[in-house]
Amino acid sequence: MGEKSEVIISLFGILDVTGEVVTMWIMLLIIALLSLIVKKNLKERPGKLQNIIETGVEYLDNFFADILGKTKSRKYFTFLASLFIFIIFSNYSGLIPGVGLTDYVKAPTASLSVTAALGVVTFLFLQISGIRHNAKHYFMHFVKPMFFMLPLLLLDEIIKPASLALRLYGNIFGEETVTEELYHIFPIGAPVIMMVLSLLFCALQAMVFTMLVSIYLDEVTE
Amino acid sequence: MTNSAIIAIAAALAIAISTIGPSIGQGMTAKAAMESIARQPDAAKDIRSTLIVSLALMEALSIYGLLIAFMLSAKI
Repeated sequence: MGEKSEVIISLFGILDVTGEVVTMWIMLLIIALLSLIVKKNLKERPGKLQNIIETGVEYLDNFFADILGKTKSRKYFTFLASLFIFIIFSNYSGLIPGVGLTDYVKAPTASLSVTAALGVVTFLFLQISGIRHNAKHYFMHFVKPMFFMLPLLLLDEIIKPASLALRLYGNIFGEETVTEELYHIFPIGAPVIMMVLSLLFCALQAMVFTMLVSIYLDEVTE
Repeated sequence: MTNSAIIAIAAALAIAISTIGPSIGQGMTAKAAMESIARQPDAAKDIRSTLIVSLALMEALSIYGLLIAFMLSAKI
């Protein structure tokens, strides 16, 4: 899929910084600052900000515990929750007015390169955690019901992350494009219709991505 | 017909046809979920989360069509 990338800055001649990377830097800064501020004033009786963050973390904890069970969800919580936080932040960054209209700031998940990277990371995570959990079971599940299932099951391992990446990219890119088209039709008011829907879909896509990753994880670490 | 007219029709057909199957499937899924929630309101929470995942999986199919349509319309 030919995706053009508009390079803004070229670092050392090799590292090309695009609008998506700039947005990810800003996100990184915001998330890091938020966590630092909350971590600094941790109290027994939580304040306003700590309350909000605690609710979010608790929600994620319950969300993964429902699928994976308590012990496994705690073990893999860091990866899954980081994935969720990254995806939901980058999805919602597309809703900020002005993001996506210029080349300098763009929603990261509206680019196939970013979601494909997420897919590759997920692929590695699933394979490594499967092998580390129970290597024998991991290699046996390729030939479990019948031996001739091997090529299909091998293919399945690659298709899973690829479909995850394509789904996320297609949804967010589609939303961004529809919003942009509405903006061209009537700049004031019309994009709001799609943006309200996006509020729902962005959270849903982040949820679906992490939910599917944890279902796949549950399969490999049985 | 010019080339760009053919591409435009192809893009329109790509998204139009690819929404038919998933929409029927989503309708059937939502119907079944509604019925089971009405029959057993206690299980509504579990049913809802499974419903959302299955709807999102079906949604992906029409999203693939949408992607093809966008890629085609970029070539006009």
